[in-house]
Amino acid sequence: MGRLRRSRTHHARRDVHRLARTRVRVKDLDQIEMDLRPGNRAKLERQEIDEDKPGLGQHYCVECAKYYETDLALRNHAKSKVHKRRLKELKEPAYTLTEAEKAAGLGQDNTQRGVEDVVKKFEGMSNAQEEEKKVI
Amino acid sequence: MRIEKCYFCSTNVYPGHGTMFVRNDAKCFRFCSSKCHKNFKMKRNPRKVRWTKAFRRANGKEMVVDSVFEFEKRRNVPVRYDRELVATTLKAMERVAEIRSKREKAFWKNRMSGNAAKNARDAALSIEKHIELVQPRSSTKSSLSTSTIEEKEKIREKIKVRAAGKKAMALQQLKSANQSKRSNKQSRLIPAEGGGMGMSLD
Repeated sequence: MGRLRRSRTHHARRDVHRLARTRVRVKDLDQIEMDLRPGNRAKLERQEIDEDKPGLGQHYCVECAKYYETDLALRNHAKSKVHKRRLKELKEPAYTLTEAEKAAGLGQDNTQRGVEDVVKKFEGMSNAQEEEKKVI
Repeated sequence: MRIEKCYFCSTNVYPGHGTMFVRNDAKCFRFCSSKCHKNFKMKRNPRKVRWTKAFRRANGKEMVVDSVFEFEKRRNVPVRYDRELVATTLKAMERVAEIRSKREKAFWKNRMSGNAAKNARDAALSIEKHIELVQPRSSTKSSLSTSTIEEKEKIREKIKVRAAGKKAMALQQLKSANQSKRSNKQSRLIPAEGGGMGMSLD
């Protein structure tokens, strides 16, 4: 199965390892999913002027988590293949650790198990102690 | 101490093994191997990588809905130690694992059930296509005496006819299988054995 590795797959990306550093890590899909929620989205689209960000942080694409220099650049980006591909990726829910665990057959259980039992036992113990005291 | 699951391929990550990546929002990602870590760094979607559990589950390769999955859980609330509880749990673990392996086997069998007919059809087709490559066995009588071209042709004709018959049979089987599949397409599940989901101990 699988395809043999083809030639000419580098597309002028010479330094793949340098691009994979944690320092240049970009947002993951599950983070972007959070950003897309109405409140967060509005906040991200109307950011305060920040000199450190490209275009003073005024032209931000939420789906691609990227700043643009000008409004024109942002609009052109919205028409691009990269952006459309990202939209498609965001259509299905992001992969999470809980899904990984579910795939391994491991569910989650946050309920207070057997609290009643514990309480009953505890009460029984205290009752017994009192009775013992009475006897003494 | 916990046995964690790998974020990418969902295998066990035992204490002291693997790598953990902590994202700048304090989310932890555990990896069983550098292979999984690298795939994560490439931002690959585990649902689309064929060797991960996530792929196998998302694409109906493995049993997904079953009562045996109700037992193993990540429990975030501690429980007061109880000797009896531990004893019954240990007993239950063994039994559940046994039942699970049985059901998984049954699921696999069910999944592969259509393949016999398919393989027979493919074999027959390849004989039909490459009949000129078929050589009569050297130990047969005909070849021992005088293996003329005509005789070879005769034998080939025989094989061809037999293959055609097998193909027809396989096709019929496939057809009936498809029809039955269509009728109960919703459930990919096998009904639980012993009539019910209850699992009694001993």
